[in-house]
Formats: sequence, C-alpha cells, structure tokens
Amino acid sequence: MSKCRELDAQFAPYADGDVATGDRASVEAHLDRCPPCRDRVAIQRSVRDVMIARRSALRPGASEQLRARCAEHARAAAPAPSMVRIASRRWVPLSLAATLLLAVAGAFLFGLNDSVEALAAQLTLDHVTCFQFAPERLKHMDASAAAHDWAAKQGWAIEIPASSSSSDLELLGIRRCTMSSGRVAHVLYRWHGQPLSVFVVPHSVRALHDQQELVEKFGHEAVVWSGADRTYVLLARAEPSELTPVVRYVRANAH
Amino acid sequence: MVFRRRPTSSVPAGGGSAPEAEASKTSADEAFSREALSYVDSLYGTALRLTRRPADAEDLVQDTYLKAFRSSGQFQRGTNLKAWLFTILHNTFRNMRRHDGRNPIDVDSEYVEQAPARAPNDFSPEELLTRASLDVDLKDALDALPEAFRQAVWLRDVEELTYAEIAEVLDIPLGTVMSRISRGRRALYERLHRSEPQSQNETMKPGEHQEKADVV
Repeated sequence: MSKCRELDAQFAPYADGDVATGDRASVEAHLDRCPPCRDRVAIQRSVRDVMIARRSALRPGASEQLRARCAEHARAAAPAPSMVRIASRRWVPLSLAATLLLAVAGAFLFGLNDSVEALAAQLTLDHVTCFQFAPERLKHMDASAAAHDWAAKQGWAIEIPASSSSSDLELLGIRRCTMSSGRVAHVLYRWHGQPLSVFVVPHSVRALHDQQELVEKFGHEAVVWSGADRTYVLLARAEPSELTPVVRYVRANAH
Repeated sequence: MVFRRRPTSSVPAGGGSAPEAEASKTSADEAFSREALSYVDSLYGTALRLTRRPADAEDLVQDTYLKAFRSSGQFQRGTNLKAWLFTILHNTFRNMRRHDGRNPIDVDSEYVEQAPARAPNDFSPEELLTRASLDVDLKDALDALPEAFRQAVWLRDVEELTYAEIAEVLDIPLGTVMSRISRGRRALYERLHRSEPQSQNETMKPGEHQEKADVV
C-alpha cells in the first residue's frame, strides 16, 4: 500500500510516457503485481484522452478584435525603421496579416496543435458516435458513386476504397461528421462484422513526415498516415497486427 | 507495417521554428512575432479558464503580448516560445490577483485527496463519449477542481506543455506538478463518473446526431 502511495504521483507522467527511465522501471515493476494501480494508470489515460478529444470545445478561440490588437502590439514593439530597412519594414504588417489568416485556417479543426494524438482522440469519438446511432440506415454502397456524390456536394475530391471480399470489408456509407466541424469525410465500413472507419481530412498533418503512426484511444486502434494534401485515419477496435492487411488494402486504394 | 506511435510528450510542444543564425534581425523579429501570435487561441483559452470573464481574459492576453514583445530579447532561442508566453501569462495573472487583494491560489489538496480510485471498467468509453452532455460535464468537472490542480491538468492535457515546462510556468517543483496532474485527473474521473446519466433519456438520442450529420 505504501508503495502505491509512493508511486501515485508518477502515474500521470507514466501514462503520458514522460517519466525518466529509472522511475519508469520501478513503476512498471510495481504495476506487474498491483492490479489496482494498473486501474489508476488506466484512469489517467482515459481522462487525458477525453480532454484531448474535447480540446476544441474546452478552449474557445480568440476574437478577431483580440487577434488584431495583439498583432498591433507586435508592430508597436518592432524596432524603428532605418533608411535601408524601409522595404522590409513594409513587409511586417503583411506577414502578420498572413499569419492571422493562417491561424484562422489552421484552427478550423483541431486548434493549432496539429497533433496526431488529438486527431486520433477526436476521430475515435466520431467513430463511436456515428456507429452508435447510424447502423439502421447503413447498407451496402457503391464506392465510385459515393465519391462522385461527395465531390459534387463538398467541393473536394475523395477516393473511397470499395468493398472487398478478400479483406472482408463492406462499404456502408460516407458522411460529413459534425463533431469535427464537418470538414472531415467519415467513410463507414463493416469489417469482419464490426465497425471500421476511414476518415479523410482535406489537409496534411506535418508532424507525420510521411510516416504511418498507430495510436490507441479508448480501446480503439487508430492508424494515421498523411499524403500531400490529405490525411487518413483508419479506426477499429482491433489488435494492431490484425489491422495490417486492411490498412494495406485501404492505402492501396486511396491516395 | 504498422508502427506504434511513441509518446511524444517530452518533445517541446511549440515546435518553434528557430530562425537561422544568418537571418537578419528584422526577419528574426518577424518570425518571433509570427510564432508568438500563433498562440493567441491557446493564451486566450487559458486566460478565460483563469479569469472566468471574457473581458478580463482579453486584457490578460493583451498584457501578456505587450510584455512578450517588449522583452523579446530575453527569450532564449531554442526553448519553447509557447511555454515562455504561458509563464508571462501566469505571472501577470498572479500579479493581477495580488492587486485585487485576492488569495493568489487555493490549494485544497484535501478535496482531491479524498477522491477514491474506482476501477475504470465502471463505465465504458462508449458511454462517456456518446454522452450528450460530455462537454458540459467536463467543464463542470474542471470548474469543480481546486484551481492549482485545474491549472496543472489544463496546461498538460489541453496545452500539451511538458511536465518540466509546467513546473516553470506555475513556479512549483516538478514533483508537485506530477502529483497535481495525477490527482487532478483522478478527481476529474470521479466527477465524470458521478455525473453519469441515470437514464437512457439523458444520453444523446439517435435523431440528435443524425440531424447534425449529412448522410450522402
């Protein structure tokens, strides 16, 4: 019991992967023989993931007036112009305006923290919610017709991998999921009889650097990869190894 | 091949683009301003959490930028600009409080200490995630936390600062940051658990979600 108390403060950083190596080993040794503390660590993870998933709702954006006033402070604090620097000085307000525009555009979905963790947490929430309330309306659907329809209605093109009997994957539908402000295409599948989602985000996530990432959120595995101007997130309740073939299929058919 | 993502929390959250050494002073200033201003939503959201009033939060953010731009020379390149801005924000807030004659911070550890740890299986992620009142419940749970705990959890889970950065921002030892976040999250969990809907009627109804989603 005293060990539980002693290690208690470590559980948050441990769950976040932010513990020095020595401490990590001692936490792990204890977790091996203490189920209640394993639960305590699980609590840390689930609260953190809920917070991350609802980050945008918890944190309202700054008003345009506030943005403008803060940018004004930057200009006021800028060094006085000298003769030679006039040309570049005129550049400053322009670039600030561009920054504000970018900030607005960047904040549309996940705030400015374009992190994969936040993306996965948010989309797991969408996955669970959409499947919870939609199944009775979902039936088999034609991929190219759906893609055509999407481009016509939403104004950006999408490639939708079709149903595949070899992958035991059935396309059920596509929707604009509002929980992510409607900017994300949510493609719903049935895979080995269970829900599987492919989310297509119409921009790339820089943090990914062309690498495929795997993130566990709320008991689901999210596989995330990013192309030139699209980011894909495949989500299901499955072991990572089980997902490998279906990820391969989807990647081959959507780019 | 599927790679598991490594925890990234020890990576500085700002990802600041340090200007090249040979860049002119002007473009360095410009890059500094640009990056600093990109955190305005983060600073405002945090200020609102601290002050609870939009007008006060806007004043606090403006004061923060004013100080940041005036003392930009003191910022150490290569360190996290976001964390530096948060330090200014929290210091400014503490000063505001002191002038108001109010208690700077309430650390009611008893309250958080009392929260027992329940097994996480008591309610499923699905139950929590599909709860119509999730955002409201979450905000209520945060508001119910003693301020010292709320600040630590907020900077970690919403603003993605590292534990070391939070220690700096809040001016408290690293061990205190760790225990406040551990205990703060557990208290949040308890609170969310208690606000669990008693009947089916209180969870989101099918129509509610479908109205909002376009089925193509």
